[in-house]
Amino acid sequence: MSIPRNRTALYLAGLLILGTFIGIAHNRALDAGRPFVVRDAVQLVLTPVNTASRRVFALGEWLVRFIRPRGSILRENARLRREVRMLTEENARLAEAAEENVRLRTSLGLKRNVPLETVAAEVISRKASSWFDTLTIDRGRRAGITKGAAVVNFRGLVGQVVESDLMSSQVVAITDPTSAVGAMVRRSRSSGILQGQGSGYLALTYLPKDADVSESDIVVTSGMGRVIPKGFVIGRVVRVMRSSAAGSTTALVRPSVRLDEIEEVFVVKQGAARGRQ
Amino acid sequence: MRKYAWPVVSLVVAAGIQGNLPAGMSLMGAKPDLVLVVLIAYSLAADPIAGAGLGFVAGLVHGAAVGLGMGSFIVTRTITGFLAGFATTRVFSDNPVVPVLSAAWLTAVCEGLFLLANPRVPLAHAGRVVLGECIYNAGLTLLLYWLLRALETRRKIKLADARI
Repeated sequence: MSIPRNRTALYLAGLLILGTFIGIAHNRALDAGRPFVVRDAVQLVLTPVNTASRRVFALGEWLVRFIRPRGSILRENARLRREVRMLTEENARLAEAAEENVRLRTSLGLKRNVPLETVAAEVISRKASSWFDTLTIDRGRRAGITKGAAVVNFRGLVGQVVESDLMSSQVVAITDPTSAVGAMVRRSRSSGILQGQGSGYLALTYLPKDADVSESDIVVTSGMGRVIPKGFVIGRVVRVMRSSAAGSTTALVRPSVRLDEIEEVFVVKQGAARGRQ
Repeated sequence: MRKYAWPVVSLVVAAGIQGNLPAGMSLMGAKPDLVLVVLIAYSLAADPIAGAGLGFVAGLVHGAAVGLGMGSFIVTRTITGFLAGFATTRVFSDNPVVPVLSAAWLTAVCEGLFLLANPRVPLAHAGRVVLGECIYNAGLTLLLYWLLRALETRRKIKLADARI
């Protein structure tokens, strides 16, 4: 009677030890930025399943949109028209400002910003666990994506590539607790470190006690660390906490990018990001 | 080996669907953990060794899908599969309350162990998420478990018919 029990215990212990070793090896590979063969093999099977699942859900969403009542379609249409008008005006203003910027930079003899080289990718999986804010995109090493590359969309910074295999890459969103990005308040240029909180919000820390930051301020990337380019919108300040004891200020930031709504992203190639600083 | 093919395929499909669940499904900040649901449903009908093996595969697949904490996923899912298989051989009955309660406590144990290894989020937030996940997983495990039981019964009847 005791032999089968021992065998079960041995089997369980063997699996747990093997699991621990795989975990350690994966973490080491992540730190070194090299591929991990076990994950690559599993991902080779998972990527087509993820893509197929994404297509099925997209079809479902399209069907739901298709059978929606006419009233809500007309309301959405009106909202989109308003948005297009607003964006067209904003685009004209920005184009003028960009021209002026180039003119002034030339006259001051400043270095011109290098245009970013990006790779477009589709999100095939997002937030596969309640505890991690990660995304899987359908472009990997074959498309030139490497660890640390910044991932953005039209709303702003999404996150950073943490691992890439041949066909896909894993992105850690800025809201994940392991994420830390150099950021600054756009209005006052007060800069600090933006850390994910795991609850959908971000904390802009290491700001000086008397930092000029207030609610509704827009936070952008500072370009510190030369990995993530400067100037990408991150979000808006929703609360400012000043601690006289610690002599510092922390701002709670709501990200402009919603992880659940991201469908397409752009990955900024590493060399391009450095050239932009 | 053939009898593990379907559970493994189901785990891979569950991991594929997990990353595409709509945001509207969120309950107290949690979505169902489909990989865990599949693992518990199959392991409840298996012995501890098979449960642990399936748990290992579930952890590997889920860890690869998430891309972080792979070791924690494997260890916690292996223990969960083992416990589910163990519960079946010791206390299992046909009462539908048993799979529901099993799924709820197994989810709580699994996520509790995971958070011990990865203290990532504030405790209150983690508690809410675990509670939401327990409720979701319990309901889905019941559905999947009944489906598996029905398929198994049909297979047994077919086998018996073939013998006659």
